[in-house]
Amino acid sequence: MPFWKVPSRKSTRDPQYDSELRFHIEKLTDENIAAGMTREEAGRRAVLEFGGAEQIKEELRDVQRIPILETTLKNFRWALRFVRKSPSFSIVVILTMALGIGANSAVFSAIDAVLLRPLPYPEGDRLMELKQVNQKVQKPQTRLAPLRLEDWNRLNSTFAGITGYYTEDDSETSGPLPEKIEVAYVAPRFLQVFGVAPALGRGFSPSEEQSGGPNAVLISDRLWRRRFAADPNVLTMKLRFHESHWSIVGVMPPSFAFPDRDAEVWLPVAPDAPYAQHREWGWFIAIGRLKLGITQEQARANLETVQAQLGKQYPQTDADLTPGIVPLKETTIGGVRSSLWMLFGAVSLLLLIACTNIVALVLARGAQRQHEISVRLSLGAPRFIVICQLLTESFVLALAGALLGLVIAGGASGAFRSLAKDLPRVEEIHLDGRMLLYTLACSVLATLLCGLFPAIRGTRGNLSGALAQNNRSQVSGRAPLQWFLVGVQVALAVTLLGGAGLLVRSFQALGRVSPGFDPNNVLTFHITGSYGETADWKKLQSRIWRSLEELRSVPGVESAETSLFLPGVPNSWPSELTVAEGQTDPHRKIAVETRVVSPGYFAMMKIPILAGELCREDVNSVNVMVNRSFANAYFPATTPVGHHVLEPGNSFLPGGEIRGITGDARETGLDREPVPTVYWCLSAPDPDPYFLVRTKTDPSAMAGALRRKIKKIEPARSVFDIVPLEERLSDAFAENRLRTILLAFFAVAAVSLACIGLYGTLSYSVTVRRREVGLRLALGALQGQIVKQFLLQGLTATLLGCVAGWGLAAASGRVLSGMLYGVSPSDVATLSTVVLLMLLVAALAALVPAIRAARVDPMQVLREE
Amino acid sequence: MPIEKSDLLQGTLDMLILKIVTLGPIHGYGISQRLRQISKEVLLVQQGSLYPALHRLEKRGWLAAEWGESENGRQAKFYKLSAKGKQQLRKEESNWNRLAGAVANILQTAQ
Repeated sequence: MPFWKVPSRKSTRDPQYDSELRFHIEKLTDENIAAGMTREEAGRRAVLEFGGAEQIKEELRDVQRIPILETTLKNFRWALRFVRKSPSFSIVVILTMALGIGANSAVFSAIDAVLLRPLPYPEGDRLMELKQVNQKVQKPQTRLAPLRLEDWNRLNSTFAGITGYYTEDDSETSGPLPEKIEVAYVAPRFLQVFGVAPALGRGFSPSEEQSGGPNAVLISDRLWRRRFAADPNVLTMKLRFHESHWSIVGVMPPSFAFPDRDAEVWLPVAPDAPYAQHREWGWFIAIGRLKLGITQEQARANLETVQAQLGKQYPQTDADLTPGIVPLKETTIGGVRSSLWMLFGAVSLLLLIACTNIVALVLARGAQRQHEISVRLSLGAPRFIVICQLLTESFVLALAGALLGLVIAGGASGAFRSLAKDLPRVEEIHLDGRMLLYTLACSVLATLLCGLFPAIRGTRGNLSGALAQNNRSQVSGRAPLQWFLVGVQVALAVTLLGGAGLLVRSFQALGRVSPGFDPNNVLTFHITGSYGETADWKKLQSRIWRSLEELRSVPGVESAETSLFLPGVPNSWPSELTVAEGQTDPHRKIAVETRVVSPGYFAMMKIPILAGELCREDVNSVNVMVNRSFANAYFPATTPVGHHVLEPGNSFLPGGEIRGITGDARETGLDREPVPTVYWCLSAPDPDPYFLVRTKTDPSAMAGALRRKIKKIEPARSVFDIVPLEERLSDAFAENRLRTILLAFFAVAAVSLACIGLYGTLSYSVTVRRREVGLRLALGALQGQIVKQFLLQGLTATLLGCVAGWGLAAASGRVLSGMLYGVSPSDVATLSTVVLLMLLVAALAALVPAIRAARVDPMQVLREE
Repeated sequence: MPIEKSDLLQGTLDMLILKIVTLGPIHGYGISQRLRQISKEVLLVQQGSLYPALHRLEKRGWLAAEWGESENGRQAKFYKLSAKGKQQLRKEESNWNRLAGAVANILQTAQ
């Protein structure tokens, strides 16, 4: 008895079996009594006559049982034998599967880590990002004032706790050289809200979160290892920021990377500090942890009530505000969602092509195996069993492909991590159990896709016909289904290639754009500054002026300026202005993009002054420049020069006189048309603007000289983030580039697969029709005719596939429309190039079997008969 | 000489059971009696083959079974032919006849 039958020896049907068999024995007993035996004798004889009742019962149980394990094992043995017996077929199928499944699993691992998993904090799905929203202004979402954050935390009933943070690059000066460090300033309750404890030491004590309390700091695992060589005595050491010492009270675990992976130090901000008492200041991005069972909507409603109450209490500052609430995961992921899903769509198409390819291969083989299948069916094998066995073969191949695919995916996700460094949560991407499960699911799906159809088709139809048929007398090799599959593969490949083509074209278009400024030979960097400096604007201003003067004196430097944003690197500060002298159309809002630059910025970036004069930086008043778009949009009849613009509600930039009009530059991103822009001429808009230096030669080579210069005049400040402007511009499109590269890679893989499919199908067709071709050659057909005929057969299917693919590509172009620049999703030039390319490659793939067909030796074929 | 189970062509027992059951609902004992009587004691079917065959046919849906009272008042399991079974029987009968005819032909011509 096989071991797997043991556990189910008894079944619930046993009493029924007993009574059925007992009835039979009783009838036999009756028979015996009628024949004249005594009751006991009759019963004994009946039992003997009936035979082993237990054995019969076991057989009855067997009838009900489906011997799954046994059959499965047998199927697997057969399948393995089949794989061994046809190595070349198996290798092609396994490689194709590996490519399809590997690419799919790799992209899935990224999607799983970035989009699907909760954030890596305990019950991370309960964390929400909170902002204050003022619908009456141009940029409605702003950060929270510390006071309001404390109010929200105290008055709400739906959050377990609300905290907040903002980051600043600061200079840490306890070491031999100042080091730039990203500091996260955090509101009280920071660790409690995240639910994370320091790996070493403790969190902030209540007194450390109060004004005048002891200075305490938490450091990252990375900083601990880099600066303190993972010294366990680090808790007795101190860090130094702006002349004050901060005791290290704890080291965070390596997995904690909030607000981002560069944050290395967390400092508490006391809500009762004197400088934090302004309700109109926006400091914090707030993070709240929902109480258990509370939904986002309930929390929003609750915060709205709280804010309405605050609005009554502080009408001047709070009346227009409402709370904004978004899951923290959403803001962490940002805009990569659509890119990742697009890639997932692409690899799914690739898998589909791989499966179609395999279906065609299996079908071609199925024709050879028809005889074997027919024999087995006619020997009484139920069709279901034969289908199961054929599916097992596909599954063994798919599984082997999936294993190889996992290796590919492992390598690919490693490459992905290094290629997409800026992708949020990219460090969380790795191979794990979920990915193994996904890969397994993929191979089951692939098995069904690849195996089911050929299996059902192969076991159908007239058996005796197939048995009787002599393979050699078969002439037809048209196999319309196989050609249909070739068409499907071509269509899908054209779709992918079309998408890749559009992305490449839009990348080219981006490269040809004239940005309106000259990014060559410009080096950009930061010099650490702290918001503490804003207490004395005059001092801050002279500090920055001095730095600029010193930088300009370095040999090889043409000019040095500051700007709050970098030109062409996507960044936006929209605001709404009024004109002091009155507007042409009083109802029209003056919506502009705000830039803050030092006056020399225009000359440095080679942005021309079209009218008026260059602004001057004045201690008492602010000058502004506007661009041509601004003048055209808001002063179509007159000149804006001499007018004064005001930004209501902005105490920092109270207003200024328009001194001149500049040319249009693509300030907010190379892929965006210039918008009406106002440049405020201020060298020191905040303690940490970008420094821009135009150099005579290669800008990167100047970095050392500039650092030494700053070291000399400002020994406590560090120069960091030194990158040429051109590199920043290209980095701004890194995600774009990665997307393009990956899609192009998938498209090339798809086209290769489609060509293998075409080649395989045509080769099969040639093999089947050898006899026909031989006969025709013997009867005087020209070799050219034969080549032409097979080539046309291949190209017709390809052409039909291309037509379908064009339609698919145009339809799926809409998925891409948000990612394209300067090219329409249904761009005829791109799509026709793609189709031509596909036809060309397909023609090459078809040529080989076609020529082989024409080389058939008629004599040999006829002899084979 | 009686023909034992091992000599019965595979599938033949199934066909015979289906044929017997066409006459009306009948229990296992009845079928074994009927087989013996009709074949004039030539076919001896062991219960060890009969009952598994009955259950197999029931599982395939060719036989329907229900418990009922037998002629002497005891509970017995009665089998009857289902619509699917009827179809199957027709198919097997015609196959059998073709085969038997062919075999007979061969035997005659070979004489």
